[in-house]
Amino acid sequence: MRKAKFQIPNSKFQIFRSLFTIHRSLITIHCLLFTVYCLLFFSGCAGQDKTYKENMVIMDTVCTITAVSASEKDAKKAVDAGFAEIKKLEALLNFFSDDSEISAVNKAAGYKAVKVSVETLDIIKKALMVSDGTNGAFDPAIGPLTKLWGFSGKGAAGIPQDDKIKNILPLIDYKKIIINNSLSEVFLQKKGMAIDLGAIAKGYAADMAIEAIKAAGIKAALVSIAGDIKGFGIKPDGKPWRVGIQDPRADGIFAAIDLQDKAISTSGDYQRYFVKDGRRYHHIIDPKTGFPASNSISVSVIADNGYAADSFSTGAFVLGPEKGIKLLESMGLSGIIVDAGKKMHITKDLIGKITIEKPL
Amino acid sequence: MDKLIFLLLIILTVISFPLAKKFIHPGNLVKIASDNKIAYVLPLDEAETVTVKGAAGDSVIEIKNRKVRMKESPCPNKLCVRQGWIESGAIVCVPNRVVVTISNDENNGQYDAVSR
Repeated sequence: MRKAKFQIPNSKFQIFRSLFTIHRSLITIHCLLFTVYCLLFFSGCAGQDKTYKENMVIMDTVCTITAVSASEKDAKKAVDAGFAEIKKLEALLNFFSDDSEISAVNKAAGYKAVKVSVETLDIIKKALMVSDGTNGAFDPAIGPLTKLWGFSGKGAAGIPQDDKIKNILPLIDYKKIIINNSLSEVFLQKKGMAIDLGAIAKGYAADMAIEAIKAAGIKAALVSIAGDIKGFGIKPDGKPWRVGIQDPRADGIFAAIDLQDKAISTSGDYQRYFVKDGRRYHHIIDPKTGFPASNSISVSVIADNGYAADSFSTGAFVLGPEKGIKLLESMGLSGIIVDAGKKMHITKDLIGKITIEKPL
Repeated sequence: MDKLIFLLLIILTVISFPLAKKFIHPGNLVKIASDNKIAYVLPLDEAETVTVKGAAGDSVIEIKNRKVRMKESPCPNKLCVRQGWIESGAIVCVPNRVVVTISNDENNGQYDAVSR
């Protein structure tokens, strides 16, 4: 900026000097050159796409939206529409808020069905589909375990007593979530059941934010809700969005991948955890054992939709590296799994497409 | 004819004045937001310490040697303070709802986002 202040008066001065002191023909040449310069200048400015990036704290995390547009005003409008969508879903789906629709469903567990919005019904249906696909390794009925372990609530996390876990395990069963499509109702069959969409809501919100941004007429955008990312279109330089994957045990990125009209999500044991007696207890709980899954340390899944990337990364994490890769390949999804020995496993389709930035 | 060109020249010179600002990239900026509202936008190359009111209290942000850190924070776990000095990216304090980002006018970052 400082540079600009000096340059402009300077060039102006030169123009005037040449106009008044040099021969006419020279002036004409000068003028022509200046005009050419100006034309280049304008063509370089007008209609050029740029990226606009904004952050906002929603869903207890940082959401970043990057929009590509020639107009800052249009980009801002689209970014705002994206954030509004994420906020709307947060209000409906927040497990820890008493006012959310999910809380209303959970409070009525065991005695009545609750009418919910189109969005809430849609995400629960998608969650149940993924539960079926992962044979329960991903289970939205995990709520009672989430509360017991206390990883994402306000209370401090600690190891629950064994018998407490044993007692609630029968409640962790997605098959006991009953959907009534025509009435748009959700019913939890057993008292004490609770739906927690924490492992699918961010990916789903990224999908919805992208839809809102598309509707605002933007040609490319990247939505990132914590590590759940959905991209659409390409960058102004003609390249796809480039996403790094966090090293699960150190600072920085260990792998990177191009993302074009796809979503990526990572589930890791390094996000929310505590260490007790040399053992790491983290927030990805195996619905079948009630304890943190320990065969993997990081799982990234690439899918067409954010909700699928988000939920399948949790499911594949719980299943462990071998079964996880098999599951992803059978579902036509791509993934990278880092096992407990820091060995990398990738789905066949990713060979040659993923860049390893540093050894683990 | 010459007069016309002369006139055009002056107009273009005047027009190019504000446009030139856009053309020459400003240095990196430090954006500090509290509760999703921008509180400060400061140049990265000038040493400064600012205090921002967040949801839980005052966060103190320090800019020095083209680096930024969260110096003090009222949050319980102090993850933001422990992050230390950063040269790019962001420091996020979710409990106090304070977000500090270093923004580059150009897309210089190697990655557009990080999945974690």
